[in-house]
Amino acid sequence: MSHELDGWIAALRKCEPLEEDDVKRLCQMAIEILVEESNVQTIDSPVTICGDIHGQFYDLLELFKVGGDCPDTNYLFMGDFVDRGFYSVETFLLLLALKVRYPDRMYLIRGNHECRQITQVYGFYDECLRKYGSVNVWRYCTDVFDYLSLSALIDNKIFCVHGGLSPSITTIDQIRTIDRKQEVPHEGAMCDLLWSDPEDVSGWGLSPRGAGYLFGDDVCTSFTQTNSVDMIARAHQLVMEGYKWMFNKRLVTVWSAPNYCYRCGNVAAILELDENLAHDFKVFEAAPQEARGVPAKRATPDYFL
Amino acid sequence: MSHDAPSTTAHAEEDDAISVGALIDDLKSEDVELRLKSIAKLGTIAKALGAERARSELVPFLAERDDEDDECLLAIAGELATLIDAVGGEEHVHVILAPLETLITVEETVVRAKAVETACAVGRAMTPGGIGKYFVPLIERLAQGDWFTARVSACGLFATAFERSEESQLELRNTLTGMFRDLCADETPMVRRAAAQNLGKIAIVSSGDFIVNELLTMFAALTSDDQDSVRLLVVEDCVVLGKLLSATDCANKIVPIVLKLAADKSWRVRYAVAQQIYEMCDVVGAEVAAKGLFDAYVALLGDSEGEVRISAAGKISEFCSLAGAVYSAEKILPKVHELANDSSQHVRAALAEAVLGLAPTMGKDTTVEKLLPVFFILLKDEFPDVRLNIISKLEQVNTVIGVEMLSTELLPAIKELAEDKHWRVRLAIIEYIPVLAQQIGTTFLFQKDEGSDSGDDLLNSLCLQWLQDSVYSIREAAANNLFRLTEIFGADWALEYIFPRIKELMSSHHYLYRLTVLRAVSLLAPAVGEEVILGEILPIIKHATTDTVPNVRFNAAKALSPLIKAIDVAKFQSEIRPILVGLQSDPDADVRYFASEVLTSAA
Repeated sequence: MSHELDGWIAALRKCEPLEEDDVKRLCQMAIEILVEESNVQTIDSPVTICGDIHGQFYDLLELFKVGGDCPDTNYLFMGDFVDRGFYSVETFLLLLALKVRYPDRMYLIRGNHECRQITQVYGFYDECLRKYGSVNVWRYCTDVFDYLSLSALIDNKIFCVHGGLSPSITTIDQIRTIDRKQEVPHEGAMCDLLWSDPEDVSGWGLSPRGAGYLFGDDVCTSFTQTNSVDMIARAHQLVMEGYKWMFNKRLVTVWSAPNYCYRCGNVAAILELDENLAHDFKVFEAAPQEARGVPAKRATPDYFL
Repeated sequence: MSHDAPSTTAHAEEDDAISVGALIDDLKSEDVELRLKSIAKLGTIAKALGAERARSELVPFLAERDDEDDECLLAIAGELATLIDAVGGEEHVHVILAPLETLITVEETVVRAKAVETACAVGRAMTPGGIGKYFVPLIERLAQGDWFTARVSACGLFATAFERSEESQLELRNTLTGMFRDLCADETPMVRRAAAQNLGKIAIVSSGDFIVNELLTMFAALTSDDQDSVRLLVVEDCVVLGKLLSATDCANKIVPIVLKLAADKSWRVRYAVAQQIYEMCDVVGAEVAAKGLFDAYVALLGDSEGEVRISAAGKISEFCSLAGAVYSAEKILPKVHELANDSSQHVRAALAEAVLGLAPTMGKDTTVEKLLPVFFILLKDEFPDVRLNIISKLEQVNTVIGVEMLSTELLPAIKELAEDKHWRVRLAIIEYIPVLAQQIGTTFLFQKDEGSDSGDDLLNSLCLQWLQDSVYSIREAAANNLFRLTEIFGADWALEYIFPRIKELMSSHHYLYRLTVLRAVSLLAPAVGEEVILGEILPIIKHATTDTVPNVRFNAAKALSPLIKAIDVAKFQSEIRPILVGLQSDPDADVRYFASEVLTSAA
């Protein structure tokens, strides 16, 4: 089995998509592994935390050049693997194949884009249709999305989630009771974890995104104290410097898509935690042109920003 | 089915007929994908139909249908070439021109270009008679086309028509010449561009007389075209024509045109000249080039447009070797000084890439006196590419004056690149270090490093620094580098300088840095011999197999693999095998997997 997987990984690293049947089997294998994971997946340090990738395949390769290859380096990707970039299929399948091949070295949790509804609007659905001529691959992948864990807890000290906190969640144990194997709902705890943003507000605020909430320093502080964690690591928001501390270093946003949508001009970052939880941010830029394949032929779709 | 053998062939034929029918049906399909698949099999369809039906049914069918999808049109334009051998030989091959004629006039440039290419292939398969009867009339129709696309395509067919027709077909050739002359003076710039692009191709298949008497007149008109996009295409023709003409004709007729274009008011034309002028000088020889072309080049080095200076600067060493030391010292060196201080970093980078090539031409004294100051300016450039370019060409100057003259400036430049904030710059200099060590000797690399507290030499302190770089790719390259340096300096060097330091790194508190040590020692194994492997490398790896982090343990297992190949079997059985067997019962699945992998491959 590992030889077949190694073959798929080698192809995907070259940005070659898999055959439809292989995608189907890979997704089935992934579901078997993911179904065993908890809503709050426990992870041991050392591990490198990454934010949104959004189908920017060649920038993901750049990330691995800076952070190290899997399995040498352990990784946690905090969701939003797909949509917007040109290579959502290859990006998600590479990460998924690495997950299946090295389940203890690679962790993936769900982002708000890992959802049927959003991917139909922001590019992943169209990309599957264009590359495979049918939506089967999109179906297999979105079925996997339902099994992705919602959050992770590193050494019981660092809580990782794609978006942020929820007014319906006080303790981490409450997250463990969610039935996550479904499409991301429009409201409620599961939705908030994937959609919320930290903000300079007191308590909870209405999110301009139309889903999730804004949460302030006080909410963050009481959550970390109640659950005796040191900090929250999350993604979900573009930050021009790649990472951004908030709330007296109790929360950090990590963003891993450099020059987002190939036009934002931002740098990206990953957060390297060693075996003593010492952190080191690695900031990196978009892959240079010569490291990229031939750009997609189609004109820029209108869902860009 | 074995009892029914005779019917198998019948079945096969029937299958064939069905599949050809299906392919033809697919050609009419609404679905673009299906049409494309079927188009890709045009050659097969034609062969299955046989020459006659291919001519009478398939080709007319292709000529009549009008596909609207450019992708399909492009595919048809290309695939029609596969019909050349399938329509019944040179007497019939002209039928393919009919479907091509429609494609040759469409708006999409790619389709047109492909159709012209295929039409030329068809033309080459025709008899001289056929050329007169079918090919030239096609050119005539196109050349008189209302829409410019037809006339553009016509330009691309002339070279084939001239090549395939015979000298005796005088009238035909006169017609062609007249038509091409008209196209050179066409009212649409696109057509004149196409004419300029094809003039050289026609010249290649023509006699010297024809070039001098006919083509040169048309050519001269194009060189004064009011559109710069036409004039810049003419520049390439200059070199092509120059090669075909006698030295005298070239000096009298082509060189003046190059000189005129070198002073063109459009920078795009001057840029094209800068690209071609060295080759032009080469064609006419130094003696003729000295009468004007060299001066034109010097002017381009000081052009007001950066792109032109970049292009000219890149050719500087070839130019100087052609122009000789005296001219270079007098006219070109002053420009080199200016370019080294150019406001554009790209100009400076282009100069840095080429300037060291001047040293052999200039000789030792001039190099020391005039060029050295330029090298120093470029070595301290704020733009890393400029510094990298100059360092990567050092061997050219080393053969002339020896690198010692440069070392005081060189070491700080290398050191700074080694610490550049962009990791790709650091990577470039790392990968260059072994080459540098080989090219210019090792003495200067082992000089005491002023900045180092430990009193280490430059090389050792850099190697160490790279192994602890924050970027994974740099650490990988650094490990690789140690192997390459050990190959150059030998195992003793590694024992004395490398091992004591990497052993220290093994106590790093960060697992990724311990992985780098494992990578380095496993790479070094083949270069150091059994004694060092067992005495130095194995203890390091053995220690790593008890690391708390699983990633370190399975990389230790992987690192044992190259050791096994470098020591004898008995030592493997006694020293390494037990370690791997122990790792096979590790609590981590990946450690168990890689330990088993290494054991299996050793067996």
